[in-house]
Amino acid sequence: MVKKLSLSLAALAFSVVALAVDNHYILGVDGLACPFCAFGVEKRLTKVEGVTGIEVEVADGVVRVTLQEGKTLTEEQARQAVAEAGFTLRSFSVAKTGANDAQ
Amino acid sequence: MRSDGYPMGRSLLVSVLLLSGGNPALAAPNTSNTALPVAEGQYLWREQLVLRERSGGGTMDREVSIRALVSVLGYGVTSKLALFGAVPYFYNKALDVTSSMGRVERDTRGMGDVSVFGRYTILQDDFTGGTLRIAPVFGVTAPTGEDNDRDSLGELPRPLQTGDGAWDAFGGLVVTYQTLQYQLDAQLLYHENGRHDGFARGDEMHFDASLQYRIWPPRMNDLAGTPDFVYALFESNLIHRERDEIGGATRTESGGTQWLLAPGLQYVNRRWIVEGTVQLPVAEAPNGAAIQDDYIVRVGFRRNF
Repeated sequence: MVKKLSLSLAALAFSVVALAVDNHYILGVDGLACPFCAFGVEKRLTKVEGVTGIEVEVADGVVRVTLQEGKTLTEEQARQAVAEAGFTLRSFSVAKTGANDAQ
Repeated sequence: MRSDGYPMGRSLLVSVLLLSGGNPALAAPNTSNTALPVAEGQYLWREQLVLRERSGGGTMDREVSIRALVSVLGYGVTSKLALFGAVPYFYNKALDVTSSMGRVERDTRGMGDVSVFGRYTILQDDFTGGTLRIAPVFGVTAPTGEDNDRDSLGELPRPLQTGDGAWDAFGGLVVTYQTLQYQLDAQLLYHENGRHDGFARGDEMHFDASLQYRIWPPRMNDLAGTPDFVYALFESNLIHRERDEIGGATRTESGGTQWLLAPGLQYVNRRWIVEGTVQLPVAEAPNGAAIQDDYIVRVGFRRNF
């Protein structure tokens, strides 16, 4: 009984982690070169449904996007939001472990 | 008084046009335009305080003092098209001059001529940590300022009025090259000034260049997130103005060429820019007698939302 319960909890924990990981995205953005410009990217990405967090790494031209569980960000959505901000999407990837593996 | 005021008028007009006709609210030069993007749906708000002093003028010992606040609101219609409106408010425009009546002081205040203008990006070449942009700028200045204000001595000299009474148009091209370390802007702008009540100011050509060099943080290698920047500014404004026309005749002692250099500092974060520059005259070649700029101070902030 205890063993079954432990396995169930482990499976639940794994699925939660998997869902969370699926909702972190890393965008490579070309054209970003100052803090004031970063605000426009944040503003446009915030309008994507489910976005809960945006972190802009100006030095690397990378934007990390976090979405609610169950929500997804497609590459086309990201490309459009970045273009509406006046910049160019260089790369798009789903963060596997939240690692800093920017493109 | 009217003829005495024309040299002053040049300085006033340069000041007004530089501010209201070509100075939006982006992270950019303090005295001219930039081609950096405004995101779709993004607003920009800017306030700039201008303090300008001129003096000279031979035996008339003219002194001109201008205190103005210029408010700018920008909006990104699309990522390539941005619209701006600029409203200058003169809370003091004053002329001190020695006349046959002795020392005379005349001044006024009020809203100046409002400008609306648009900028469209025609070239965008983005790369990691930088961009190259080219954007034409077009706009008009409406005669919203007072052009027939009076004091106890009668109607104020035309250049002392807060408005010129005419519709003006301007257009040009802005080129911006920006990296994480520095930003270069260059602008060529032509002002076609309208005629009102028999008077037309000379048309103007502006060539502006600006270098913004990041002095803080000194290195970006180990910095995460979006750190605040401090830029050292160095700007150049070359302005040529044709002679004025009044009653169908050209005024020989009007117009000329002026070159200003402006060192300054700019603090930039995600939402705010705080900045200040001092424009100093390097060379002035007026047509005929004219007073000279002593300095122009510009301080202000920009906010995006």
